Amino acid sequence: MPPPPVAWSDADDARAAADGDRQAFQRLYRQHVDRVYGAVYRLAGYDHARAEDLTQDAFVRAWQKLADFRHESSFGTWMYRLAVNVALMDIRSRGAHPVGFVDDEHLPDPGEVPFCAAEREELERAVAKLPPRARAVLVLHDVEGWRHEEIASELDMAVGTSKAQLHRARALLRRMLQPGESS
Amino acid sequence: MNEFEWRRQLRELRAPVAPPRDLWTGIVAALEPAAPAARKSPRAGWLLAASFAGLSLLTVGLSLRQGQLLDHRQTTTTVANQTPWKPDDPRLAGAAIELDAARLELRQALEQAPNSPALQRLLSRTRQQQSRLRQLEQQAG
Repeated sequence: MPPPPVAWSDADDARAAADGDRQAFQRLYRQHVDRVYGAVYRLAGYDHARAEDLTQDAFVRAWQKLADFRHESSFGTWMYRLAVNVALMDIRSRGAHPVGFVDDEHLPDPGEVPFCAAEREELERAVAKLPPRARAVLVLHDVEGWRHEEIASELDMAVGTSKAQLHRARALLRRMLQPGESS
Repeated sequence: MNEFEWRRQLRELRAPVAPPRDLWTGIVAALEPAAPAARKSPRAGWLLAASFAGLSLLTVGLSLRQGQLLDHRQTTTTVANQTPWKPDDPRLAGAAIELDAARLELRQALEQAPNSPALQRLLSRTRQQQSRLRQLEQQAG
């Protein structure tokens, strides 16, 4: 009778990887890359090239910081937060050169814009066009489910600023999704 | 449609996404240069990376403009195994390897000086050059 397949847990792999075991780290990568990539991809405005770069950065940093991982949360949660932080650092570093500019002059009050049903791809395209910080706040709050306090802390802004950015992002998004809006 | 349904649509965007290509090769390549020696001399590493990135950008710019075939045999031999993306066009392939190596160096340098605007600008420009190369490859078919 053949031996049963060996099952590795994330915690075991994380400990082994912290000791330099690259195979263990590769298993962790395979296990978590889709979740990490998904979050980074959304924060990067659905730009695959940048998301690939940031995801690689995140895993390299994880490898370098594994010795500091205290196992207080699951590896997946730790890795996800680290990757989001890498993506947010990238947004902060591009502060003077926003990607995906949207003219928000004369922005209507969100209450004046009706909610419109949108196909998933249409919604993703609209999110991608948001200014980077507004997009980050919207993605973290409305998509990833973060609280304003967490967002403000990660983006180094006041909680009120995070709420204002979310308000602005939602208004922009709803305006872009209006029938006849092609921008 | 009401606000509740609209928010539900947004939450549905939260789904795992598989990268279009395997990123593991690039990650492994980036793990290699994390040598202790580089950490002992952050200033030297910083300057080396900045110089290397600047030189790479200059080389790529000149090569693309003049359409000359780049001859980077030595570099190619050293770095080829670390490059996750390699265009078929030899002119672009050489540039891609240079840029990838420059990007890795810059990331290391940013580990030492994460708030350096100069390094961040160089990294940003390197990424833009990589995107431009991808566009050129697509245009070339």
